[in-house]
Amino acid sequence: MLVVNHVSKSYGKFEALKDINLEFSNGVYGLLAPNGAGKTTLIKMLTTLIFPSKGEILYNGTNITRLGEKYRELLGYLPQEFGYYKNYSPKQFLEYIGALKGMDKKVLEKRIDDLLKLVALEDVATKKMKKFSGGMIQRVGIAQAMLNDPKILILDEPTAGLDPKERVRFRNLLSELARDRIVILSTHIVSDVESIANEIIMIKDKQVLYKGSIDEICKIIAGMVYETSIPYEQAAMFKKEVFSLSEKQEDGLLKIRFISKKAPEPTWTAVKPNLEDVFLYVYRDDIQESSAP
Amino acid sequence: MNIWKFELKKAFQSPVVSILIVLFLFLNFWLIYNHAGIREELKVTNQLVERFGYKIDAEMAAKLQAYYQSKLQKMNELTRKKFGKTYERAGDFFSEYEYRSEVLSEEELHVITETAIVEGYYELIQEIDQTYSHLDLSKNAKLDINKYGLSGKTAEIAREYYKNLNNRLDELIEAGEHKNLFFIGYVYRMHSFLFKDLMRQMIFEVMILVVLITGHVTTYEFQNQTHLTAYASKRGRKLMLDKLVANLFASLCICAVILGATLLVYFLVFDYSGLWGIPISSFFNSEFPFPYISWWKLPFGIYLSCVLVVFIICQLFFTVITYSIAVWIKNNYLVYAAFALLFGLCVLITGIVPKTSTAIFWTRYTPFSLILNPHLWFIGWNVFTPKNYEWTTAVIWTCLLAIVTAVTFLKFNKEQID
Repeated sequence: MLVVNHVSKSYGKFEALKDINLEFSNGVYGLLAPNGAGKTTLIKMLTTLIFPSKGEILYNGTNITRLGEKYRELLGYLPQEFGYYKNYSPKQFLEYIGALKGMDKKVLEKRIDDLLKLVALEDVATKKMKKFSGGMIQRVGIAQAMLNDPKILILDEPTAGLDPKERVRFRNLLSELARDRIVILSTHIVSDVESIANEIIMIKDKQVLYKGSIDEICKIIAGMVYETSIPYEQAAMFKKEVFSLSEKQEDGLLKIRFISKKAPEPTWTAVKPNLEDVFLYVYRDDIQESSAP
Repeated sequence: MNIWKFELKKAFQSPVVSILIVLFLFLNFWLIYNHAGIREELKVTNQLVERFGYKIDAEMAAKLQAYYQSKLQKMNELTRKKFGKTYERAGDFFSEYEYRSEVLSEEELHVITETAIVEGYYELIQEIDQTYSHLDLSKNAKLDINKYGLSGKTAEIAREYYKNLNNRLDELIEAGEHKNLFFIGYVYRMHSFLFKDLMRQMIFEVMILVVLITGHVTTYEFQNQTHLTAYASKRGRKLMLDKLVANLFASLCICAVILGATLLVYFLVFDYSGLWGIPISSFFNSEFPFPYISWWKLPFGIYLSCVLVVFIICQLFFTVITYSIAVWIKNNYLVYAAFALLFGLCVLITGIVPKTSTAIFWTRYTPFSLILNPHLWFIGWNVFTPKNYEWTTAVIWTCLLAIVTAVTFLKFNKEQID
């Protein structure tokens, strides 16, 4: 079990994370927060790239920094900005990463072949990566993270650059993998985790705001989510009174999904909240700030 | 081992490195080619050594004299036949050489040239005792004191230095180290050519390659944004240790390629076959009125080996210096600039310290100052080339760089890799 115990991280006077407490056992964990919320900082601490300013991270009761190689050999990590060597082929790159992971040469060769097949790169296994698309590079990144069959798989924005088909394939793969390992998936794309995460961790104001299953998290706004259709000319006034989640045109009217704490009106239809509703609602200030001109 | 292989691949896959190796070898071969015109003349030295041995004593001098006279006689027979004229000295012929050379065949000209060279040896042997008896090192001390503006403690050091050198000179004369045949330094300047022109050129070439490779390999992950993947792997930050080993090995490979290829060509062009055992302090090796006086009896072969050892040690120092800078800076271009700056500072500081301070001496104990005069390594030449200068510099910098490397590792182990 991986335990994050009262962990804070500061850079000088700037506090990136404050008193984080988490526990991870086998399963998929969706680390959900807007960009800049501190997801990557937490992940870098989990991968021993940076160290907590306060608190400790324990694996089976021992500090991961003290475990060193013994901890990192259990780790598979795909960074948010995955770098690669453009003059290497996927096979050469994976051989290098395999060497860094201390893998046996024979085991490594077999594993590379299997993984390249799994991420549909077997046809370009020996081609230089400089001509690869973003999606292909990302698939190399996923392959390198899974190379050592890690017990802890940490993926930072793993679906960036993948097309819809690849995303679905990737999600299915993670679900399969998570049966006997910890998979931590950091993303700001709700759909990446909605269907596969056992637990969602939401970070806000440098702290863990919610941690629980999707159903538990959705209860936060249960009974507050509605849909209604209104004429366009009333839209501006209506949106001042409610928090709009999504809007679309339907039969000449504006169909709007929204959150309201007021007593519902007859034209409103109560709907079951989903994770995206919670995300939009929880991070409404951040989203408005980031979308402001 | 596997990781080293990958790190070495990074070192040598750069086309810049390959191009520079080819370019530098071409420059070295070109330098040798430009000097190769004397190679036939140098063979005469080996012939004399083969015939009389290289140790000069009364018996050898008498044999050489007889040999010279027979050569001169043959030459005069030739010149009488060709020009109706004989010469007292073979050298005299060459004052008129330009007007007469077209009449002679290559073989005939060779006979005269060879005679002139043998004559050179014969005549110089007569001057050895006189030259060494006229050496007054206290004058050298005064010259150095005036030339470098030394006073007080530093002037005292200069006087002490020449006292020690004088002791060594006495020992050298006593052992007859100077009385050995070698290429005539006044004429061919082979010591300067090999150890100053060629060796110094190679030192700078290898240094450029070593700094380029070390900066490149050490910062490779940070430059390619693979640092997060690499340093979160099982090997983790110990990868930096692998990089140090790979860099040192790559530097040895570069030394082997540049030194190996250049010296191979050099010794194929210039015949040293009979000269490997001749002390470097031989009178014939002198190129200036003041002879080369090695601090120990060093036969040419041993001297060359010592020079190569110091050469390689210096390159390993440059590797570790560049590596340490790279771990801190992580940008290869800035690493190159920082190395150049450090080099410049270390050399410049020797010129700006007060002449009355002993710092004028100890600031020179750096690999950067050391590599400027490889032809004077192990030789007492002036107050700045003391006995054990090379080994002392090597020991000091080994300790210093061991500490710097340890601190660098500790720092990197605790570093936030963002």
